Amino acid sequence: MNDQMAKNDIVLRSLDLFKDAFPGRINQILKSKEEGKKIIGTLCLYVPDELIYACGADRVILCGGRSAPIEAAEEYLPRNLCPLIKSSFGSVIDQKCSKTKSCPHFGLVDLIVAEATCDGKKKMYELLDKYIPTHVMDLPQKPENQNALEYYIKELESLKDVLEKLTGNKITDVLLRNEIKSANETRRLLHALYELRKRDSPPIRGTEMLKVLQQMHFLAPDEFRKNLVLLFDELKVKKRESSGPRIMISGCPMASGNMKVPEIIEERGGLIVVEESCTGTRAFWDLVDENKEPMRALARRYLKIPCACMYPNERRINQILKLAGDFNVDGVVYYTLQFCHGYNVEKYRVGEALKKSNIPLLSIETDYSGADTEQIKTRVDAFLEMLE
Amino acid sequence: MISIGIDAGAATTKAVVLRENEIAGYTIIPTGFDFRKAGEEAYREVLSNCGIGESEVGKILATGYGRSSIGFADKTISEITAHARGVGYLIPAAHTIIDIGGQDSKVIITENGKVVDFLMNDRCAAGTGKFLEYTAKALEISLNELGTLALVSKNPAKISSMCTVFAESEVISLRAQKTKKEDIAAGLIESIILRTIVMVKKLGIKPEVAFVGGVAKNPGVVKAFEKALDTRVQLPEEPQITGALGAAMLI
Repeated sequence: MNDQMAKNDIVLRSLDLFKDAFPGRINQILKSKEEGKKIIGTLCLYVPDELIYACGADRVILCGGRSAPIEAAEEYLPRNLCPLIKSSFGSVIDQKCSKTKSCPHFGLVDLIVAEATCDGKKKMYELLDKYIPTHVMDLPQKPENQNALEYYIKELESLKDVLEKLTGNKITDVLLRNEIKSANETRRLLHALYELRKRDSPPIRGTEMLKVLQQMHFLAPDEFRKNLVLLFDELKVKKRESSGPRIMISGCPMASGNMKVPEIIEERGGLIVVEESCTGTRAFWDLVDENKEPMRALARRYLKIPCACMYPNERRINQILKLAGDFNVDGVVYYTLQFCHGYNVEKYRVGEALKKSNIPLLSIETDYSGADTEQIKTRVDAFLEMLE
Repeated sequence: MISIGIDAGAATTKAVVLRENEIAGYTIIPTGFDFRKAGEEAYREVLSNCGIGESEVGKILATGYGRSSIGFADKTISEITAHARGVGYLIPAAHTIIDIGGQDSKVIITENGKVVDFLMNDRCAAGTGKFLEYTAKALEISLNELGTLALVSKNPAKISSMCTVFAESEVISLRAQKTKKEDIAAGLIESIILRTIVMVKKLGIKPEVAFVGGVAKNPGVVKAFEKALDTRVQLPEEPQITGALGAAMLI
C-alpha cells in the first residue's frame, strides 16, 4: 500500500507548466495585442485553429467552466439553459460591463468566431455580438450528406475572408500547410500520451490529464506543444503508477474551472483512463491529411468530430465502443450538462450500445454548482463498488 | 463475531447489530441536524438494546447520505450496495429493489445480492418521503393518515407538479375546489410513484420486486405500486433497516 502511494505521489514537474500558465499567457496576449496582433475567441472545436494562426492572429477558447459568471448571464439568458453557454456569456459581459475582471482574456478578444452547433449557443451568439463582433460559421447538420463537405468548405472560405480582412494578412497555402503540420504534431503527441494511459497502471490520472487538455484551449499552440513534450519525457522516465476501476468519461465538454465530476470519481477511487469529449479525444483524435489541398483536408478532418448536434451520429457510438475496448474500460460515466439536449438525448442510444457490449454505465447530469456533490458521490461510490 | 451497520439517512439514522450472521437487534432514530451525533446515539442505543458491551463489537460499517460523518466507523459503503446486500439476505427472491427514503429514491437491480445496475433521483426531493411529508401538511393530516386515507379513494386527483413546493400549492387549490381529502391523498401518492416507475421501467423490471425505505411503511404507497407495476411487492418486516443490515454484512 505504501509503495503504491509513493508511486502515485511522484511529482510531475511539467504539470505545473500547465497549471501556472494563466498569468503568463494573459501577458503574452496583452503584448501581442500591443504589437497589433488580432485576438480571436472561439467556443467550439469545429472552428479550425489552423486558419486563425495562419493569418497571424492568436486565439483563446471562451467556453466558460466557472459558476460565478452565471448570475450575471441570467439577466439576459433563461435559467433553464446549459451552464456552459451561460458561463461563457457571463464571462464576456462581466469583462465589458463590470469592474471585477477575473478572466481578462474575455475582454481582449477582437472577434469571436462562433458556430451553428446547438440552438442555445446560436441564440446566445445573437446577444454576444452586441459586446464583441461575432462571426457565426454555419455547419452542415448531416455531415454524411453528399454535399455536406462542399458546404463546409464554403463556410471555411468565408471565414478565411473574414480573418484576412480583419488582420490584413493573406492566408497562403504555404502558411496554412505549416499550421496544419504543427497542429498535427500536437495531435500526434497527445496520441502518444494517451497510449501511456492504456497501460494496466497508467502514469497519469484523468484529473491531471484534463487540466492539460483544458490548457490546450487557452495556451499558444507552440507553448502547449513544448509543455507536452516535457510532460511526455517526464512520464517516460518516472515510474509513476495509478490504479482503480478504469473509467471512461463520455459526453459534454469540461471547460476550464469545471472539474467537479472527474475530481469526485478519482477522489472516490476510480481511475479515468480516457475522455470521449471536447476536452478529451474529440479535441485531437483525427489528423489533417498533409498531402491534400489544405482547405479540403481541413474540412474533411473537422467534419469528423462526432458532436451530438449532428445527425445521424452513429460515428460517436462507434468511437465510444472502440475507445472502451482500446483503453480496457471497466465502466463509462456519461457526463452531461443540464439542458444540453443533444448529449442528453443521445445518452439513450449510447446506453443501449454499451449494454450490448456489457459495459456498465453511470449517467450524471449536472451543472456548475456544488448543490448535488453529495448525491453524485453516492452514485459514484455505488458505481465503483459495482465495478470492483 | 459481532458487527454493526449504521445507516446515516437524511431523515432517520438506523443501526443494526449482526451476531453470527443473525440480526440481534436494531434501532431507528430521527437524524436531526447532526449526522455524527445521531450516529453515536443510534450506536449506543442499539448496543444497550441488545445488552452488548462496546468491547464485544468487532467492526462498524457506515452507509447512507451522512456516512462520511460517522467518524468511528471502520469503513463506509454506499447505501446502494448496502441495500442490495440487506435485501438479498431478507428476501433472496428479490432482484428489483425500490428504496424511497426521506431525501432520495433509488431503483436497484441485483444478481446474487450484488448490484448490476441502478438509478437514483437527481438532486431534488421530488418523489421522496419529503414530498409526502410536506404535502400531508397541506392536507392537515399526518403521514400515516395520508397512506390509510388514500386506500379508500375511488377517484384519485391528478397532481401534475413534481416539485414539492408547487404540489403543496396545487393541494391547496384542490381543497378550494372541494376535492375529497382521500382523492387528494391518493393523487399525491400516485404522483410520487410515477417518478420511481419511470426508473424501474428504464432499468427493466426483474422479479421479484422489493420495496424498502421509510416510505415503504405507507400502505397507500405500497398498494399504488402494486397496481402500477401489476405485480405483488415484497416488504421486509422492517423496511427501514435493510441499508444498515447490508452494511453490517459487508464487513
